[in-house]
Amino acid sequence: MNYDNVEILFAEDSKDDAILTIRALTKSGFSNKLHHVADGAEALDFIFCRGNYALRNPKEFPNLILLDLKMPKVSGMEVLEQVKSNPETKSIPVVMLTSSNEGPDIEKCFALGANSYIVKPVDSDNFFQAIKEIGLYWMILSQPPH
Amino acid sequence: MIANKRLAFQNKEKENREAELVIANKELDYQNEEKENRAAELVIANKELDYQNEEKENRAAELIIANKELVFQNAEKESRAAELIVANKELVFQNEEKEKRAAELIIANKELAFQNEEKEKRANELIIANKELAFQNEEKEKRANELIIANKELAFQNEEKENRAAELVIANKELAFQNEEKEKRAEELITANRELKNAEEDIRKLNDELEQKVVERTAQLESVNKELGSFSYSVSHDLRAPIRAINGYTKILVEDYGDKFDEDGTTILHSIINNSKKMGNLIDDLLAFSKLGRKQVAILPVDMESLVGAVRDELITEDGENIPVFKVGTLLPANGDKSLIKQVWINLISNAIKYSKYKETTIIEIGSYQQGNLIVYTVKDSGAGFDMQYYDKLFGVFQRLHSQEEFEGTGIGLAIVQKIVNRHQGTVWAESLLNKGTTFYFSLPVSRH
Repeated sequence: MNYDNVEILFAEDSKDDAILTIRALTKSGFSNKLHHVADGAEALDFIFCRGNYALRNPKEFPNLILLDLKMPKVSGMEVLEQVKSNPETKSIPVVMLTSSNEGPDIEKCFALGANSYIVKPVDSDNFFQAIKEIGLYWMILSQPPH
Repeated sequence: MIANKRLAFQNKEKENREAELVIANKELDYQNEEKENRAAELVIANKELDYQNEEKENRAAELIIANKELVFQNAEKESRAAELIVANKELVFQNEEKEKRAAELIIANKELAFQNEEKEKRANELIIANKELAFQNEEKEKRANELIIANKELAFQNEEKENRAAELVIANKELAFQNEEKEKRAEELITANRELKNAEEDIRKLNDELEQKVVERTAQLESVNKELGSFSYSVSHDLRAPIRAINGYTKILVEDYGDKFDEDGTTILHSIINNSKKMGNLIDDLLAFSKLGRKQVAILPVDMESLVGAVRDELITEDGENIPVFKVGTLLPANGDKSLIKQVWINLISNAIKYSKYKETTIIEIGSYQQGNLIVYTVKDSGAGFDMQYYDKLFGVFQRLHSQEEFEGTGIGLAIVQKIVNRHQGTVWAESLLNKGTTFYFSLPVSRH
């Protein structure tokens, strides 16, 4: 499988949230270049070309990373921390997705260098709108230096 | 004729010569008379001269006599002069003697004057010394008087001490007696102390047990608190996810498979969407409410006019016919947590808009007034209002005074308002007339800045 043209890396453990999010992005025209991983460990394998992604071109990085905060094995927060502390990947925009605005997560994510933070709304209209805006903003308006 | 005239003239001349002769005769007569008078006078003058001669001879005889007298007087004066010369010499000698004496007296005078001055100085010194002695005398007298008084005082004190000593002797005896009594009492106390110590040990044991229990209970409470925290996190995170899925999938059904449902089916799909949405709102509100109890309140002066302006701008929607009209009076500043106070305004103003939706116009009046140390804010609408007999349910959690069909809502907005205002040591209350409108009041501490 060719991973070299992946523009959006999307890490989400909830199958339902993944389906709905991918659908929202598809409707906004970003799906063909999106790659979905089911947890944080797989997200790190993808970014740093390890495990199943060992053959991926290490010079190619996605233009945007969407991370669900609460995932098994490795959380979105830990992925964020590794991406932002690595000089090769720290300039990739990272948007955190979460089911709630509970806890100190928001401040912690921004402290670690998250570029945006979205609480997934229950109402799907709002959800689609939010996802669409993320895609538009980070894919079109702010071009990363890659 | 000529001879006649000559004769006439000669006649006349002779007549004139005769007149002149008569005058010259008369002159001669007068001169004769004068010479006779002069002779008589000379005889008289002769007689006078004779008399004067006789007088001069008498005078000469008298002068001779006077001369003789003068010669005698002269001799007398010469002898007198000789005597005066002798006397004069005597006086000159005496004068010299007197002058010498005067010079000696001047020297003696100066000496006396000098001695006088010295004596005056000495006299002045003596006066000063005298005064000093007088002053010292006075001082000594005063001191002597004081010593007399002090002496008397000492004598009195001595007496007192003697009295006191006598009393002390008596008191000593009393103390000795009391000492004995105390010794007896001390023995009793030692016994009592032993008993107390035993009791204390018992208490300490009980205390330790209690402390242990408090520590255990605190740990339990802390873990319960943590459980509550993770519970609300789970509610927020895990309950929202399936509801989000229900809502999202139903939306997909409507959008992608809408043509396969009849009208009833489509209505049911929309009901699912609405209910899941409501469930999401309930969860969000419940979380917000439970968070209020834990949130740190940061009290600072709040500029109410700009805050209300921002809330109003957020809540006004330009679509629809019933666009709210705001009448905002003066809003005094107060102390509070800005983000929480903003939530109060959002809830009250959005309520006012919501409950006016069946009226032709929405008029919302906002104002404030000071009452003691509090600022009272008012939000008045002319909407649906409520029956004041249900007033005690107004601020309850999930309590509603209107049906969901009439006015949507979760019934937590006013509970949040009350909780926020109470956390600011303020109060919230309302007045309402059914179908006439409602006024909400809430108070906050006065801003000191």
